[in-house]
Amino acid sequence: MIRERKSILIYKMKEGKKPQLVIELRALTKRYGIGDAAHNALDAVNLKIEKGEFIAIMGPSGCGKTTLLNILGLLDRPEDGDYLLDGEPVDSISGRKQAQIRAEQIGIVFQSFNLINRMTVLENVALPLTYKGLGRLKRLEAASTILKNFHLQEREYYRPWQLSGGQMQRVAIARALVNKPSIILADEPTGNLDSRSSHVIMEELSDLHRQGNTIIMVTHNPDLTSYASRVIHMLDGKIASDTKIKVKFSDGDDAVKIPLNFHTKAAVASAEDAIAIEEKPVPVKRKKAKASPATKRTSTSKKSKTPGKTPKRRVKGTPS
Amino acid sequence: MRLMFFDHLASAYRSLRSSRGRSLLTMLGVLIGVASITTILSLAGGITSVVDDQVTALGNNLAIVRPGIQSSNLTSISSPVSQTTFSTSTLTEADIETIKTVPGVESVAPIMTQNATLTTSNNSRDNTVVIATTPELATICGLKARDGQFIDSQTDANTAVVGQQLAVDLYGTEKPIGRTFSVRGTTFTIIGILARLSDPVNYNNIDFDTAAIIHLEAGKALNRGIAQIQQINLRAVDAANLADITTKIEAGLKANHKGETDFTVSYGQAVAAPTSDLFKAVVIIMISIAAISLVVGGVGIMNILLVSVAERTREIGIRKAVGATNGSIAVQFLMESLLLSLTGGFLGYLTGYVVAFGISTMLYFAPSVNWQTAVAALVMSLTVGLLFGIYPAYRAARKHPIESLRQYH
Repeated sequence: MIRERKSILIYKMKEGKKPQLVIELRALTKRYGIGDAAHNALDAVNLKIEKGEFIAIMGPSGCGKTTLLNILGLLDRPEDGDYLLDGEPVDSISGRKQAQIRAEQIGIVFQSFNLINRMTVLENVALPLTYKGLGRLKRLEAASTILKNFHLQEREYYRPWQLSGGQMQRVAIARALVNKPSIILADEPTGNLDSRSSHVIMEELSDLHRQGNTIIMVTHNPDLTSYASRVIHMLDGKIASDTKIKVKFSDGDDAVKIPLNFHTKAAVASAEDAIAIEEKPVPVKRKKAKASPATKRTSTSKKSKTPGKTPKRRVKGTPS
Repeated sequence: MRLMFFDHLASAYRSLRSSRGRSLLTMLGVLIGVASITTILSLAGGITSVVDDQVTALGNNLAIVRPGIQSSNLTSISSPVSQTTFSTSTLTEADIETIKTVPGVESVAPIMTQNATLTTSNNSRDNTVVIATTPELATICGLKARDGQFIDSQTDANTAVVGQQLAVDLYGTEKPIGRTFSVRGTTFTIIGILARLSDPVNYNNIDFDTAAIIHLEAGKALNRGIAQIQQINLRAVDAANLADITTKIEAGLKANHKGETDFTVSYGQAVAAPTSDLFKAVVIIMISIAAISLVVGGVGIMNILLVSVAERTREIGIRKAVGATNGSIAVQFLMESLLLSLTGGFLGYLTGYVVAFGISTMLYFAPSVNWQTAVAALVMSLTVGLLFGIYPAYRAARKHPIESLRQYH
């Protein structure tokens, strides 16, 4: 309940204020290989991400989605360009401080789970809290609470290899969320899950989004873009298209997609219950045509979903 | 910021436990190293305290005059027999008289040792120590006659007291009173057998169990009338005056020796010093050799940790991704190294004592249990753990998070 009230409060605060820039990328380039074999995984990417955005990054394999996510998560360094986190260039942040940011501000969900097999599920989830400096009991308590949210409480003392793929992914997500990060980076968070578990996880992410957290998610599943407030398509290390979506929390079924060049009118039209309000057009927008099929797919697949699966939490989060 | 000491400790314990066999074998290296050093240290401590205890047992009011200047340099140890053994002693009979006149001196006994062959009617024993001395030696050194009596002012010049082992060696009996032996043509009659002392290591550097004791005059007769005094033992009335008495003796003897200080007067623990120094040198050499096994054990730890770092690259990547600093990764691996070496060290310390007590059942002294050995074992295992843990820890800390995560297995 407190959580809900808090989220409402955040929206109210946000409404009046100019959105805060969390992440800014300036001509970010990441190169792999040397000499003839060199190839740019990221090619002069410019991107601005505001606080509270829910971004879905889509694109074919090898287009640099994961590389981008790794760099955003301070796990990798770009060859060129600037990455500003909360207005501060990452290059000038010490390694120790970067680790602290990873421990306290950023939660990462990996494509391949990346759980430690030697440890129990509970300990895996509690791991990030160790580096936050929490005591053992508090860590395990927090981990247990979050596992409960993911319906994994009875698996707490299992080892990761004793779980199914879907369960492992849920553990991995629980681990990323346990330290209540303000930025959540997810690489195919529902890639290994059935639609029911995907939904549980997407609801959790959505809830975090509603609380004002920034979420950046890489996905292949166009369905999931309906949860996002902004969809970015990548191609060959570049941003091919960038679309902001107006999300209505009151009704999960009709996420409205607005191409960026129409955003101003649309934003004005639905100012009351829109939460993602964009202030600037995103600079790189090469192939607009690329975005439209995705739009169609999203809307059709949305319809195919049963209305009953929309959990109450989503309704509760609605600002009244 | 809270130190994550216990977190690292718990994590290190669990990771070592997960590969129990490997950890135990790795520990074995340090265990053997520390065990051998502990054995050497405790036995050496035991043997040194034997001499110290003798001095203390005799009431601490003992002083000893030895020829030459005592030095504790290691060159005297590197030669099997020290040079002073062959050189003529600077102590004379006049010195004995001088010491006797110093006030506060209760009794004085010279020790003149000769190596001789003892011959009986049907047996002979080479390299036997023949001690020529005065009756006071019995009280100063606490010698007791098991049978018969010690030499005294009343007994004949050609009477002798023999050690128990010597009696058995020569006559095949422990009670050879009245029987005779001859040294360089002179025949001696046995009038007493010494009670067994079982301390071949002592401040006199004589094993009384295998020695024959004769009058000083008889000893001189065997040495063409010259007294070759190796050592003068004296007992003070009061231990408190020893320092004072020593100074007076030094002054008196210096006058006798024409102003030359070619002798050493020592008392208290200094009496045992030459013996202790010898053992210390031997111990240092033995420990250096044993330390090699400790280094080998350390290399074993390093090796296994490097394997562990390679195996757990992915885990390192995960830990870094969720917020571990390079430092905390390094500490995690360093902790494993320390846990291995300290556990190995502790078990080695216990094993060392088990071995030492095992060996001591065949020796005439018990190994000493003291805090120095424990501290030495602790320091050694700590050093090994730190020294050989740093490199693997550094390697682990330097891993790139993404490259680590990319490693599959």
